Amino acid sequence: MSDPITVFFERLAAGGCGRLLRKTGGTVRFELTGDDGLDLWHLTIAEGRVEVSREARDADAVIHTDRAFFLRMVRGEAKPLTAWLRNDIIAEGQFRFVVLLERLFAAPPPVTRQPRAVAGDGRERA
Amino acid sequence: MKSNLVRVLDGNIFVLSENNGDIEAAVANVCGFFDFDTRFLSLWRLRLNGDRLNPLSIAERDYFTLRFFLVPGEPTHYVDAKASVIRERSITGGVFEERLTVLNHDRGPVDFTVRLDVASDFSPISLVGAEREPVGQLYRRVEDGGLRLGYRREKFQRETVISTSEPAAVDEDGLTYTVQVEGNGEWTTTLRVRALVLRPDGRDVREQLDRRPRRTTAEQREDLADWLARAPQLSCDWDAVTTTYQRSLVDLAALRYSPLTLPDETMPAAGLPWVATITGRDSILTSFQALPIASELAVATLRMLGIDQGAVLDDFRDEEPGKILREFRYSEMVAFEERPESPYYGSADVTPLYVVLLDEYERWTGDAALVRELEEEARAALNWIDQYGDILGDGYVRYRRRNTRTGPENQGWKDSPAAICYADGRLPEPPRATCELQGYAYDAKLRGARLAREFWGDPAYGERLEREAAALRERFERDFWIADRGYYALALDADGRQVDALASNMGHLLWSGIVDESRAAQVAAHLLGPRLFSGWGVRTLAEGQARYNPLGSHVGAVWPFDNALIAWGLRQYGFAEEAGRIAEGIIDAARHFHGRMPEAFAGYPRELTRYPVRYPTANSPQALATGATFLLLRALLGLDPAGEHLMMVPRVPARFGRVELLDVRGRWGQIDVIGSGLARLDGG
Repeated sequence: MSDPITVFFERLAAGGCGRLLRKTGGTVRFELTGDDGLDLWHLTIAEGRVEVSREARDADAVIHTDRAFFLRMVRGEAKPLTAWLRNDIIAEGQFRFVVLLERLFAAPPPVTRQPRAVAGDGRERA
Repeated sequence: MKSNLVRVLDGNIFVLSENNGDIEAAVANVCGFFDFDTRFLSLWRLRLNGDRLNPLSIAERDYFTLRFFLVPGEPTHYVDAKASVIRERSITGGVFEERLTVLNHDRGPVDFTVRLDVASDFSPISLVGAEREPVGQLYRRVEDGGLRLGYRREKFQRETVISTSEPAAVDEDGLTYTVQVEGNGEWTTTLRVRALVLRPDGRDVREQLDRRPRRTTAEQREDLADWLARAPQLSCDWDAVTTTYQRSLVDLAALRYSPLTLPDETMPAAGLPWVATITGRDSILTSFQALPIASELAVATLRMLGIDQGAVLDDFRDEEPGKILREFRYSEMVAFEERPESPYYGSADVTPLYVVLLDEYERWTGDAALVRELEEEARAALNWIDQYGDILGDGYVRYRRRNTRTGPENQGWKDSPAAICYADGRLPEPPRATCELQGYAYDAKLRGARLAREFWGDPAYGERLEREAAALRERFERDFWIADRGYYALALDADGRQVDALASNMGHLLWSGIVDESRAAQVAAHLLGPRLFSGWGVRTLAEGQARYNPLGSHVGAVWPFDNALIAWGLRQYGFAEEAGRIAEGIIDAARHFHGRMPEAFAGYPRELTRYPVRYPTANSPQALATGATFLLLRALLGLDPAGEHLMMVPRVPARFGRVELLDVRGRWGQIDVIGSGLARLDGG
């Protein structure tokens, strides 16, 4: 089975980016600590294209966390902004890239509902 | 909320204390030193030789510096005080700094013991008024002649570091200075209190992010002077107008807030001191109101809210794709997801208002580049109206919270639980379609159509939006109008029935332009009629409605910003005299608050109380109220961009006399506007 983190980055590189990423240009370095050392990933966004590289390069922001927590974000179980507030991820450089993470990990939470599905749901006040 | 608290502040950093400078926080006394939505000092109590100090006077030079003149002992026996203390307080470079000076008024040398008791509870800002056991561990350490207070919960850590320029005996509960001061001499020490938001490696998270260093008081002073010099100059025969205008300019300056995401731009925070954060509604409406004064606020607001625009469905945050946020917070409650403001999206009005602001900003400034830059955000917002706002699929924007634990039940500006009610007091089932939401959606579609045609090169989209707006208007007139009462229903309930309370909400409909010309006069008559108009302004809910309460925040109180939007709406429908009455009433009320526009005041009839009764609100200044001054002026002077020009049609009540607003900036460059309440040739 392939590494889910590799799959995640490959998918980002292949999929381009949604409208919310298009305005952002720059490089984010992810430093992921695991049992066997430090993994580096560089994500470069330029004119709507996403490029992924594992080679060291300058970055506008650095995001540091461990592999296990990174996977929780990939699965939509943890949100980057609250993770940053709790120090589950550490950010350096431009803060707008932390907000951008919210877009990269745009998997909805495991349980969520369409507003229209909730609209006719029982009676809240009753 | 105690009203005698005094404060200094810089953005979301502030110190709120008693009028002798002491901080002794308690559930019923919410003071402290705050930063990053956290209280970093809950005790800061000064004693001279064991005596508490009492204020002789307080000098408040500007919003970031304060000076207390104090004498020891109770007021009854301080008259012959042989010593006094000056506390000079500021927020400088993001640090709380206090300079203590002890003055010996005796002719010979005197020994003094100066004691400062210090503690922190590290309470999240949203909980300072509640009992709470901290989840994590509090600690305190004496080190390097100073004191370090801390709080840790998992990897979340906050510290307060207190240092002193003069040596002190430091213990875990504070600092003690034992000094001898010469006859008629003085002794001074400077305390610095740093608030640290720590990473596990012991560094402050904010220091590792790219942003400008926090401003010193000197820089803040210079910035305030520049701001005032740049603003249009107002003169008016009625002093209350100039006083309120000047106060509002200074207050708006204090409310400017630079988010971490856009460290070089400023947007209006919702209110000081408690809501110095990123909000949707308050930032958008304040930026709208302030366009004639400081259009740059709209730029930061639109950019910031665009960056945080909703991307996914999330019940906890009431988030949907394209939705504009309600509020963002940095506190512990948010970090551990006990509160949803990371950000929270539960408001149904903000998303259409986003488009309204973008269009109005371009009309004032001609800044087409921003309209192009934010095309996708604006389209996503317009799409939200139909795809997620219209939750019953019947063409109306409604709301129903999915976060039933911490989300507000009402998701418009009147967000208290009983704000949306029938005339007989019953509360409608959600989802609720309040009337003003339909007006905002209508306006957003028409404005979006103009942007699509003129800037996005998409006339087909423009036509579609116009068709949808026309259909919405037709539907709205059919379903909301209560023919036998001559006004619009406050809302439609879950079954599409009219929620028939008479409320101020329909005043916003005039602003949005959805009201049929043939019905506008009836709406205006109700707004200025005895049930809604108190004599000072339009009440949120009319007298005679079952839930009416002159002290009820959204069911009777008068809100200046609500009135400013109503006055501007009336003016757009040609009711200049009515707009003038509202402007006069509200400014007259502000006069009783030294020109500071209150967030809200009681809805008592003017003839009953003779003065506007202050409504106990937490924030002063509040951004929406501050902005109201500017929109009321706009309504009086009839200012509206038309192509490359600024249209001016002053219609000023006699009370105002001559009104001059000089150097109004916009796409026309700078222009002077002059109106007079004495020469009303048209008899209006």
